[in-house]
Order: sequence, then structure tokens, then C-alpha cells
Amino acid sequence: MAALGVSGCLWRRAAAPLTVQCTAVLGSRARGPGAGWKKAARKISGVRQPCFTDEAVQSLLSQMTGLDLQKVFRPVKQELKPPTYKLMTEKQLEEATGKAIQKAKEILKMPPVLSERAPIDDVLAEDRILEGTETVRYVFTDLTYSTPHRERFIVVREPSGVLRKATWEERDRMIQVYFPREGRKVVPPALFKDENLMTALHEGRYEDILNLCIAQFEPDSASYIRIHHRTYEEIDKCAKYDLLRSTRHFGGMVWYLVNKKRTDGLLIDMIQRNLLNDATCLINLYHMLHPDCQSAKTAKEQEVYGVDLIKIFMKTESQKVGYIELALQAYQETQASSAAL
Amino acid sequence: MAASRGAVVLRRAAGSLPVLALFRRLFWAQAAPAASLLRLQRPLLRMFSTETEPDVSAEPVVFDAKSRFKEKPWKYLETEEYIERYGNKPVWFGYRRNHKGPIPPQKTRKTCIRGNKIAGNPCPICRDEKLLVDYRNVKLLEQFMSPHSGVILHPMDTGVCRKQHKRLVQAIDQARDHGLLSFPVPLVMLQDEDYTNQHQAVAKTPPAPTLKSQAPWYSWYEWQQPPEKEITKIRRMYKDYLKEETGPP
Repeated sequence: MAALGVSGCLWRRAAAPLTVQCTAVLGSRARGPGAGWKKAARKISGVRQPCFTDEAVQSLLSQMTGLDLQKVFRPVKQELKPPTYKLMTEKQLEEATGKAIQKAKEILKMPPVLSERAPIDDVLAEDRILEGTETVRYVFTDLTYSTPHRERFIVVREPSGVLRKATWEERDRMIQVYFPREGRKVVPPALFKDENLMTALHEGRYEDILNLCIAQFEPDSASYIRIHHRTYEEIDKCAKYDLLRSTRHFGGMVWYLVNKKRTDGLLIDMIQRNLLNDATCLINLYHMLHPDCQSAKTAKEQEVYGVDLIKIFMKTESQKVGYIELALQAYQETQASSAAL
Repeated sequence: MAASRGAVVLRRAAGSLPVLALFRRLFWAQAAPAASLLRLQRPLLRMFSTETEPDVSAEPVVFDAKSRFKEKPWKYLETEEYIERYGNKPVWFGYRRNHKGPIPPQKTRKTCIRGNKIAGNPCPICRDEKLLVDYRNVKLLEQFMSPHSGVILHPMDTGVCRKQHKRLVQAIDQARDHGLLSFPVPLVMLQDEDYTNQHQAVAKTPPAPTLKSQAPWYSWYEWQQPPEKEITKIRRMYKDYLKEETGPP
């Protein structure tokens, strides 16, 4: 399906008249990553709001995510086989490390952050003559192999004779039945129900849950968004940001927290781990997304960097001023002591 | 003494009781003589006595050990009884199948319990009726998986019967589904897809004009008065058979 999709819709351009409409309307729907795809702009107070897919935003997020090869390629619980040993020269080792870094960058590619898709509830026809003939609904799916799944016609005939388009959940289910995708089940696992999700989150298996969610749901479905937001809230509550560092979910989490203006916990965590560069990236991202806030204006006027930037941000925007001050103090003391040594 | 009296009673009752029932009871008596004779004695004596019927509630109350753990099957693994019996070893540790020769058959028995009868040397799960294979008692399920690779152990290693192994596999699957057991999650790379939903199949289609105007979908859903010419033509054709005219349906 992926290979066939290449010719069809990888770099899809919408028809000309539609693009005009798309950008005019609040195009918060259309944020799919694609070179040929027009990036929709949210116009707020006349200034163009940055999207998740902008290069500047992506570079900041990937800087913050980091690239720990040991974590990306850590051994997984699987069928054991005897280990292989390779003897390499320095040059070969460098080449192998380079390849590993390339592979890691592919793995760390961030999944798209989209807003919820509009529900489908269109009635195509009403044949009252069919009322009472059937007791069940019939779902008709177009099974042409080459059509992309988002262009597939799936309609439902109700027992009352109404012919309507299938809802998004019905569409996903039918497409999984006829074109099964690896890692996805026809019926979503019971893990994604609220009680089970809370149990799993309390155990701290955030990465597993998010990976399963990506495998199971479409990025613009309600369940996907709900599960991701729930996970990010839990991580913020328990301050376990490090579990997602060096995974593809870190960018999405930072984007969510910055949009909700709840960056304090993350900032404290970064300072405590001596990641000052990441802290400055975070504050820069905050200023990009909220250019009207106090600290953004101050930073623009004064052109500050490093610890001073964090101090300005802390005084104007954050709620946990005390904690950030303490963390900064501890960091500066360690810096001083290591410099003295 | 009781046995001889029972035999006498049996012979006397030979004519009164139906023959088949008697045969069944005789065979039954061979299997477990004391209990059956006692049971025979009571109804027969009752027939000849003038006493009122004794209470039927004098039957022995069977304490259902299994139902205690039906709601919370993991509780059994915390009881003293379990710890005394198994310690901290898995439930199947030390179990040895009985078979001829050094190499065991490559399939364990199909099931240990058929109806009421339990086979000799039952498998580790069937021999302890308080061990319930349920997706919620994760501690029991984990004993049947390798701790290093997460692979479910073959019944040849654990010795469980095939029916229990199937139930174990289903329970482990369910537990993984509910998120109680962790497992290696497949890494699905998302291909660059078009998420705009602009195509007709998923975008809003304008409703048909008949739907909006609440008119019938097909014009013939409602009564359409036929043209006058047709009516007169048919009236002329059937004028000999026309009855009183009724209104339109």
C-alpha cells in the first residue's frame, strides 16, 4: 500500500480552485508534511503563526530531542540469537556510526500533529421503498487496489433505505479488513479505553502506548489526539520527560506543552540535566509561537542569550519561579565548582 | 451387619422397583458399596415407615474452593497455601509427565479433565483447581513466558495439557490487549500521506436538491394523478365491468 501510494498521492497537489479556498478558510486541518503541499496559515492578528512542519520549528524540536544512539538502538525483548562480532578498522567504524546516525534520524522522524478531522455525515440517497426489506446495514467498499485510502468511496445502506457515506470509524475498520496494515487491528485494543490507559500510564510505559497509538489510529482521528494529549498530561504531571527524550514523540510533546503554555516542568528538567542549549531552544520556540508575550518582546529588544534569557522568561511567563531559580542556582554552582577545579 | 440388611432389603424391593434402575444401582453398589447402600436404605425405609419426611436440607454443603478466587484470581497467588506448595518457583516446576521411553511424545495430552473424570498425573494447572487462567492474574501468566525473550513456553517444557495451553495463550493475548503485560511494540513508520481530506469520498458533498426541499426521492413515491385521457380510455375499455368509483388510494 505504501509503495503503491507513491505514484498516487505522496506529493499530492489539490486542484487549483480548491487550494485558494483552503488557504482562505482557517486551514488548521491541512498540516500534512509534504514538499508539494501548501502549508496552511493560521492568521491571528495579521502575523503568520508557525506550523508544526516549519523548518525552523522542526530544527528546534529535533535539537531538543537529541540523538542518543544507545537509546534508539537499545536491545528489545525478543527471540534470542547468539551475538555477532565484527572486527573493524577506525574508518569502517566511523562509516558504520554514520550509517547508524542516518538510520536513527529516520526513526526519529516526528509523526504529524494534525487537528481533528471533520466528521462525515452526508446522505447520498433516500430510497424509502427499501424500508422494511432488510434488518441489517450493508457497507459497500470500493476495493480498487490503486486508489489511496483517503479517496476510497465507502457507503452504508441503512435498513431505513438511506444511503449515507460511512463515518471515519467505519471507514478505518473497513479499510483494515480489506487492506490489513501491519501492527493495526480491526478492533482497537482494550488498552486505549480510559481505565486501562490510566493503569498503563501509571506504570510509565509512555513510549509503548504512543507507538501502539501510532500503529492503530490515523493521525487526525479523535482517539489518536485524545491518547496523545492524555499521555503528555501524565508525563507533565510526573515530570518524566526523560523517558521520551531521543524518541520520535518528544517533538510532539514539546509542541503540545508550548501551545498550552506549560513549559515550567520541562524547563526545570532541562536545567537539572545541564541542557542549557535545549532550554534556550525551548524558550525560542515559545517566543515563536507566542510573539505577543512579555518575555518575547523583552528578549527581542535586549537580544539576550543563555542564562539571562531563562531569567527573563522565568520572571515574566512561568508559574514555578521558585523552582526554576533554585535549579538555575544549582546549575551555576556546579559550573563554578567545575571551573574552579 | 448393615451390608446384609441392605442385601435383604434389595431382594425384597426387587419386585417393587423398576428393573433398569435396580441394575444401575447394583453396578453402582459394586463401585462404591457403602454410600449407595446407605442411600438405598433411606428411601426404602421411608416407604415402610410412618414417620414424616426428614429435612432434605441435610445434604452435605460442598465448599466451592474455586469460587473464592473467581472475582480476583490473583489473590490465590498471595495465600499461604500457594507459597507453601510452590514457594517462589513457577507452578510447573518439578512436574514430570509419565510416558514410555526417554523421549516424551511431542504433544502433551489433549485435556486432563473430561466431564467429571480427571486423568492420572494431571498437568500443573489442572491439578490445582484454585489456579484460574484469567487475563487478570498476570503473575500466573508470566510464569508461562520466558522472562528474557517474552516468548510463551511450549507445553513440552511446562507439561500443561493442550486445552490449558490454548487457554493460556488466549489469556496472555487478552492481557497484552488490555495493557497488563508488556510486549515489544512494532515500530510503524508513517509514510508521507495526504491528510487534507479534500477528495469527494471524505469531504462534504452538497445534499441532493430533493433532500433539501423535502420532496420525495422518486416522483412516483407519492400519488401522481394520471392524465385524463388515459383515465377515459381505460374507463371505456372496462365500461362493462366498472363498479362504483372509489377515490384515489
